[in-house]
Amino acid sequence: MEFAKHVKVRQEKFGAVVFETLREKVFVTNETGAEILSLLEEKEEPKEVTAELAKKYCVDSKLIESDVNGLISILEEKGIIKNKEQQ
Amino acid sequence: MIENELRPSLTVEQVRGTSFNDFQSPLFMAWQLNSVCNLECLHCCEEAGHSMPDELNSKEVMDFCKQIVDLKIPYVAISGGEPMLHPDFFKICEFFRRNSISLKVETNGLFIDEKVAKRFAELGFRSVQISVDGATPATFEKLRIKGNLQKVLDACNRLVKAGVNTEIVFVPTKFNIHETAQLIDLAHDMGIYGFYTGKIMRIGRAGQNWDILCPSDAEYEKFFQVLKEKEVKYAGKMKVYYYPYDVIEELKYRLEHPSTSLLVIPNGKAKLVGPLPFICGDLRQDTLLEI
Repeated sequence: MEFAKHVKVRQEKFGAVVFETLREKVFVTNETGAEILSLLEEKEEPKEVTAELAKKYCVDSKLIESDVNGLISILEEKGIIKNKEQQ
Repeated sequence: MIENELRPSLTVEQVRGTSFNDFQSPLFMAWQLNSVCNLECLHCCEEAGHSMPDELNSKEVMDFCKQIVDLKIPYVAISGGEPMLHPDFFKICEFFRRNSISLKVETNGLFIDEKVAKRFAELGFRSVQISVDGATPATFEKLRIKGNLQKVLDACNRLVKAGVNTEIVFVPTKFNIHETAQLIDLAHDMGIYGFYTGKIMRIGRAGQNWDILCPSDAEYEKFFQVLKEKEVKYAGKMKVYYYPYDVIEELKYRLEHPSTSLLVIPNGKAKLVGPLPFICGDLRQDTLLEI
């Protein structure tokens, strides 16, 4: 997974702001979403993000997998992240 | 519960209505780099032409760039005057892009040869926005004094060919409003990414020439109808964006919904709303963070 070319993510006190500067659309997430976004920037693969969060919070990865995938689906729908072949 | 803490049912949502106080710094910086311009457009909202006597010097300019990067402002638009006449134009652009800031350059297009278009493409700008206020030379050059439509269209073609997201901005006046549809069609055929327009603002040189420039209500009605039709026609192919409000309506809206953007003019004074004369800070006295 990769963020679309002109997408900028900035951590904020409430979570994060995602700015799709090409279409000039702004989105916000809470702290949980911000953490996932931050990991997505580093890890690229959803499974790696899930594993990292499971390890950090000492929980079964299945518990958080749907949340991570749910957010990723929304990000894909909004054109914020894309599979590498879509870039 | 950990599960609740992690749950991103937060979803992603559009920020409309979110208070600008929630953000650590502006999301967008509009920067009028200079006042000097090689044209004397009748409808210029800045009265651009000559340099202001107190414009930021090179050191101050680069210090401001660094503050923008330090505050993680994600998106900057550089305009003028004609920004490409600024001696540090490329140095500024390169600095922003090296620091991954999304950058839009607003220019009259008269300094974009093939070499420059290639350089813009390499810099990976978010977009280059060129003013094209007419679909025919007679109309264009009546408004944009000393301008040349063919040269500007050539610049657009060079940018598109080089792979630069190229936008056209069009200001409707009595002189050119009848060419709106023709220009949008031309823009699409040229491979332009986006066509931007909105009502002319009664400020700057446009204010001085208001009586000869301002379209009638009937002309505006037809104008917006054309835009609606073209927006539908080119959906998914070219962005047709129009802002339907005038300055007064914009100001009323901004009272209720403050913007998360800031405008800096060539002498380093900062404004929240471009058309108003009020400043909210001065980069020579305050840091960007303080402003």
